[in-house]
Amino acid sequence: MRYSYDGSFEGFLCALAVCLESGQRDGEFLRPGADGQGGLFAGAALDVVTERETALRFRERFVSEVSREAFATLRYAFHSEVAGVEELLWRYVVVGLEQGRRMRYMLARDPVSSVCRLSRKVVHEAHRFTGFVRFREVSWPAGEELDGEQGQATDRPAVSLLYARIEPDADILTFIAPHFRERLNDRPWMIHDLRRSSLVLCDQGSWRLVRGVALACPPGLTADEELCSRLWRSYFQRMAIPERHNPRLQQNLVPLRFRAHLVEFDGSV
Amino acid sequence: MGGVGLRHAARSAVQASRSQVKNYCGATMNDQPFEQRLEILADSAKYDVSCSSSGSNRRGTPGGVGSTAAAGICHTWTADGRCISLLKILLTNACIFDCAYCVNRRSNDIPRAAFTPDEVVRLTMDFYRRNYIEGLFLSTGVTRSVDYTMEQLIAVVRKLREGERFNGYVHLKIVPGADPLLVAEAGRYADRVSINIELPTRRSLALLAPDKPREAVIAPMRQVSGLISSAHAERTRSRKAPQFAPAGQSTQLIVGATPESDLEIITLSEGLYRRLDMKRVYYSAFVPGSDDRRLPTLPAPPLLREHRLYQADWLLRFYGFAAHELFDEVRTNLDMRLDPKSDWAVRHLHLFPVEANNADYEVLLRVPGIGVRSARRILVARRHARLGEAELKRLGVVLKRARYFLTAGGRYLGGIRLDGAGLVARLLAPERRPARLDQLELFPVQTDASALTGEL
Repeated sequence: MRYSYDGSFEGFLCALAVCLESGQRDGEFLRPGADGQGGLFAGAALDVVTERETALRFRERFVSEVSREAFATLRYAFHSEVAGVEELLWRYVVVGLEQGRRMRYMLARDPVSSVCRLSRKVVHEAHRFTGFVRFREVSWPAGEELDGEQGQATDRPAVSLLYARIEPDADILTFIAPHFRERLNDRPWMIHDLRRSSLVLCDQGSWRLVRGVALACPPGLTADEELCSRLWRSYFQRMAIPERHNPRLQQNLVPLRFRAHLVEFDGSV
Repeated sequence: MGGVGLRHAARSAVQASRSQVKNYCGATMNDQPFEQRLEILADSAKYDVSCSSSGSNRRGTPGGVGSTAAAGICHTWTADGRCISLLKILLTNACIFDCAYCVNRRSNDIPRAAFTPDEVVRLTMDFYRRNYIEGLFLSTGVTRSVDYTMEQLIAVVRKLREGERFNGYVHLKIVPGADPLLVAEAGRYADRVSINIELPTRRSLALLAPDKPREAVIAPMRQVSGLISSAHAERTRSRKAPQFAPAGQSTQLIVGATPESDLEIITLSEGLYRRLDMKRVYYSAFVPGSDDRRLPTLPAPPLLREHRLYQADWLLRFYGFAAHELFDEVRTNLDMRLDPKSDWAVRHLHLFPVEANNADYEVLLRVPGIGVRSARRILVARRHARLGEAELKRLGVVLKRARYFLTAGGRYLGGIRLDGAGLVARLLAPERRPARLDQLELFPVQTDASALTGEL
């Protein structure tokens, strides 16, 4: 049977719940935009409606029958967004509900080992980005609202806020948002995932995820920001010890693909 | 603490009038533009190797800025491959001491500069808000007197914690010889404190750092160690008891400036870990550059030796090795060709191979190529199934070196059994990759290492 869901983690949990209820061993899960690989004889996909209660009930069941850690692993692995991860996770869920708590010892067997590997990759990337996010102080043009509601007052002064751009491999926004909410809760900030057009917005101690964001033009930097990033660049240059020069080691630790958005590597907004 | 501050201010004023370097302090150095001073002070701070932001786990507070993560977070890496985690900066690089190995020694002709406490606070907050850094690592040259200098450092951290309500990481240097009351005050604001030993033996210290008696270094270390453990004991009784340097203390040793052997260095580190409960000992390859005749002339910093010392240090802290096991009567230096664990294993071939399915955790840890993570995973996974080569690989165990020391399900994984010399040759054989790719690599890089060390 094929299930199409809305692409969110909650939606996927609902699809898992529906698939479990049907009692079938095989499931195929389609996210929006994904081409069904079912071929000529594949049946029509069943649309799964995302309901918070269903997702919560599924989580409850999985946590009580398997473990909290196993659910966290599932969640991280799902956000890797690699092709075929849904089917892998479906097998993981089936094994988990069969084996219960014993699943934690099945590290050396598939699907557990594959799921754990994916999960570790996402955990690592999320950790990396807690260091690699670079906020820039920008003046947000007045009247431009994210929700689509137009600002009424055109003479409103520009708001200054902290704005960061990232392009991670996995969908890690929801994993790093709590970290930054804890740290920077005295002024509004946002982290923009360019690859997924999604954005986390945090103000007054609470954050939310906004999907499908497109900015007409990059927001302008404040004068303070120009100065501060110049200081940081020169500090960064100075910290290297010439006698220990080792760009190869540096490239292993900061791969080129991260550098576009790192201020010290001359990334610009 | 106000009384103490006053008493020291008075004493410092007296010492200041006697000081020879009065013209370095105060306004003259602050006349340069900020950006230029930042460059000078960064240049002077970069030889301190401590970089970690780990060991402290503090949540953010409403209205405050910052938090700390127990595992620490690296934010970027410079062109020499060293990580930047904290804003490592000196309050001033003017110094009344003349330690031969130090770039900031009095007799060295370099530009001098100073920051005011407010400038450091502002810079820290600006960098922290943009997520450039995890916090501040503040050190300084000694001006006027040791106690005056220590008070200046404390003033910065107090401003950060109380004025800005900063909850990020702070690593504070203790100036050797500072008043015990000031040391006690420093630990209340800082996450980690450190006092650098710099040279492993008394005679080297006397030769290269005549202003820095060994007692002035060891005494505050002992005091800090005592304060940490008593604060820890207090906190097990009451969660509200004040913390003292929750991330512990660290120190640094310069390698290659003096003739000490690796055995002497690693034995010293072992003592520091065991007796003073040190969190980290850092090793810094001596970067030549001074024409001081007391110093050796090296063609380049001994980077590989530094790397081997770190490997040996890890074996002490996480792998249950004792310092003397890594050396023998004839050899007092680490092997530069092989990592210290492989070297130990080759000298103890009668203990190998071990069986992956029933060896104890401590035994698995001694297998070259098996680290803490792999050993833990093996322990968990073998409760469910018997592990063969395929299972070990699926667990993520790297068998490149480990296969010569392991059996899995009774089968030896290393092929034909080799004697010591044959095994060394096999371990040193290059991987089958185009030779040119291998040539530039000084040592293999473990991308995950920083996260791992923090976690442990």
